[in-house]
Amino acid sequence: MAAAVTSRLTAAVCRQFQRVVTVSSYTQPQCATQAFSKFHSCQRRQTYDSWWFRSSTNNRALHTSCVREGLEDFFDLPENWGEQTVKSGAPWTGKQLRVKSNEDLHKLWYVLLKEKNMLLTLEQEAKRQRLPMPSPERLKKVERSMKRLDTVVTEREDSLRLLQTGQERGRPGEWRRNVFGKTFWYRFKEHPIPWYLNSRYKRRRFFEPSHVAPYTRLSLEKYLRSKIRKEKREKRNQKMLAAVFPKKTALA
Amino acid sequence: MAKRIIYPLYQLGNPQLRIFRPTFNLTLVRPGKEQPPDTVQFRIPLEMTKFDVRNYLEKIYSVPVAAVRTRIQYCTNKKRNHLNQRVKRPDYKVAYVQLAQQQTFQFPDIFPEKDRKHEEGSVEEMQEKFMEDERQRQKPDPRRGGVTEWFGL
Repeated sequence: MAAAVTSRLTAAVCRQFQRVVTVSSYTQPQCATQAFSKFHSCQRRQTYDSWWFRSSTNNRALHTSCVREGLEDFFDLPENWGEQTVKSGAPWTGKQLRVKSNEDLHKLWYVLLKEKNMLLTLEQEAKRQRLPMPSPERLKKVERSMKRLDTVVTEREDSLRLLQTGQERGRPGEWRRNVFGKTFWYRFKEHPIPWYLNSRYKRRRFFEPSHVAPYTRLSLEKYLRSKIRKEKREKRNQKMLAAVFPKKTALA
Repeated sequence: MAKRIIYPLYQLGNPQLRIFRPTFNLTLVRPGKEQPPDTVQFRIPLEMTKFDVRNYLEKIYSVPVAAVRTRIQYCTNKKRNHLNQRVKRPDYKVAYVQLAQQQTFQFPDIFPEKDRKHEEGSVEEMQEKFMEDERQRQKPDPRRGGVTEWFGL
C-alpha cells in the first residue's frame, strides 16, 4: 500500500512531469482533467508511453542546461501551439475526489494550479495577439475541479475538528446585533491589543440604540406576514389543482 | 477558499506562516516594453508580495529567482456602460522577476501559423474550396497587366 502510494507519488504524472525522463515506475497518472483516466484508459496511456519513448526526437526532455527550466510549465505542450481546439476531459467530481487520499489531493491541487496558470497565460497571450483562445472551457473545468477539491478538504477538516474538539466552526464567532437592529454572525479577528484599547473597534457599535427597537419589531412582523402569505398561497394553489384534477380511483 | 482568507497574526517568536494549497494564480505575460533577457514579467494578485512570488516560483516551479520587483497597475474607472454607469476594470499587480544562474527567457510565439490538412469530403474542405474559387473569380483579368477596370476599354 505504502509502496503503491510512493510509486504513485514518484510517478504522478501530468504534462510537467513528462518532460523529466527519470521516472522509475509507471502507474496511473494524475491528470489535471481526468480525461481519459476516467475510462482507465488505454488511449491516454498510449500517448504517455509514446511521449516517453519519443525523447530521442524531442530534445526538450533531454536538455541538460535548460534555459527556462520551470517556466515551460506556463505553456502548453509545443504540439498544441497554434491549434484551434485542444482536447480535454471532464472535470473532477466530488465523488471521485472523496475516494482520494490527502496526499493525492494535495498533489492534485498543485497540478490543477499549474494548469490554471498555463490557461491564464494562454488567455492573456490570445488577447494580446487578438486571436481566439483554443478551448476556453478548460478554464471552467479546472476552476470547478479546484472548487470541489476545496469542498472535499474542508469537509474532512470539519469532521476531524468535530470529532476531536466538538467545535462546529474553525473560526470562532458569536451572534451580535448591529446598529440597525439586525442580528448577524460576527466572526472574530486576531488583534495584537485588547478590545478596550482599540479605538476603531469601539466606534463600531454592536447594540441597537433605543429609537431603533420599534423598527426591529416592525420588520419581524413584516417577515412573518410574508411567510404566512406564502404558505397560504401555496395551500390555495394546491386546493385549486385538487379541484381541477380530482383523485380518481381506478375503475375495475 | 477564496472567501476573504485571513492569515494568523505574526508576532516575534511565532512559527513561520505556511500556506497549503495556495489560491494565487500567476500569469506570464509578454512584456510591453523591451526587458533585459533574464527578466520575466508576471501578473499576480494584489495580495501577493515579492517574498510570496519568490517562494511560489522556487517551490512550485523550481525556478531560481534572483530578484523580484513589483508595481500595481491602476486600471480605469472612467468607462461607462449602456446605462451610463461607470465600469471599473480591475487593478492588477505586475512582478518583474530576474532569474538567477544567468538564465535567460524569451517569450515564445504560442500561435504559430499551421497549415491544416482537412480530410476528404469534410465540410471544412468544401468551404475552403469554395472560398478559393470565390477569390479566383474576384481577381482582375491578368491580361490587363495590373491596370484597373476604371480606365475604359
